[in-house]
Amino acid sequence: MKPIEKYIEAMENKDFAGLAELFTKDGILCDYCSNSSSQREYHIYGREAINMFFRNKFGFRQYSIMTAEVVNDEQAEFIASFGGYHIMAIATVREVDADGFIKRLTVRPK
Amino acid sequence: MGVYAITGASSGIGAKTKELLEQEGHKVINIDLKGGDICVNLATAEGRKDAVDKLHEMCPDGLDGMICNAGVSGACGNLALIISLNYFGTVAVATGVYDLLEKKHGSCVVTASNTISQGAGRMDIADLLNNIGDEKRVLELIGSLDSANLSIGNSMYVSTKYALARWVRRVSASWAANGVRINAIAPGNVNTAMTATMSTSAKMALNALPIPTKFGMETLMDASEIAEAMIFLVSPKAGGINGNVMFVDGGTDALLNSEKVY
Repeated sequence: MKPIEKYIEAMENKDFAGLAELFTKDGILCDYCSNSSSQREYHIYGREAINMFFRNKFGFRQYSIMTAEVVNDEQAEFIASFGGYHIMAIATVREVDADGFIKRLTVRPK
Repeated sequence: MGVYAITGASSGIGAKTKELLEQEGHKVINIDLKGGDICVNLATAEGRKDAVDKLHEMCPDGLDGMICNAGVSGACGNLALIISLNYFGTVAVATGVYDLLEKKHGSCVVTASNTISQGAGRMDIADLLNNIGDEKRVLELIGSLDSANLSIGNSMYVSTKYALARWVRRVSASWAANGVRINAIAPGNVNTAMTATMSTSAKMALNALPIPTKFGMETLMDASEIAEAMIFLVSPKAGGINGNVMFVDGGTDALLNSEKVY
């Protein structure tokens, strides 16, 4: 599986630990969609932070994705739900290391 | 050595703070429902007046510090108690001993909560507390809410703590201009009697609030971690700090709100 496919799988399963393990130790996940739901952007730095952040978001049902579709080797589109506020989003794996771990992934409104 | 008063020091964060202050050689007066040097119910107007009167009797030369720590969690099942103790009890005691703090250029520390930044509070209730300040009226307004509903209890808890933190910031400038600093501590979830008796669902919610300094340990903050910060804030070492809401939560707030730098 490609990193973007693994990312979608982890998000759909609300697997915060699995999601974090896709990233390098200092991997970065930036989600700009939350701006549209009156929240601040998410800029999550580091594998452990990604684990804890999504443990919180999934635990309190504040973040989920629906109808995901991988559109190419680096990108996937989906509907992101921020506590019930739906936003069309596109995730892009910007950079991976030699072992296939994600160094940087962004999610932007589509 | 100084003279300090602290509410809710019979257990939890308050007890640890009292213990550490006493180890430093300070005199500490505990105001609590049970087991205090002054035993009163701060959820009532009479209890608050009693506490303030007794502190004036016991400390005629003033106080070096007042730590307003008494409070109940959102899971206590009594919305009126959450409102009356957490907000009105704290504000009444802090303002009631203001003159004692002024005498010694002391300082006040109020216990808020790191939940104030997580969006679970009801801003209408927080606004009523800060802007109307009429306890009876607020209690009437919340009278129809379901006190058994954990999420309602939690939202009331967060509302009182948010209002407290905002009250601290509002009064801080004029208090400091008169020589009295006031700050708030926003602790993360702490291992206390309060958290030990929480329901399973409440404990699950706690686990979804990760504490970065405790990563992988499935544990809560230790009361001493909060107490040490309180002692610093109330001490002259924090002389330049006023009107501050200090998050002592192992980094949970930074994790969930990294973009909120102010």
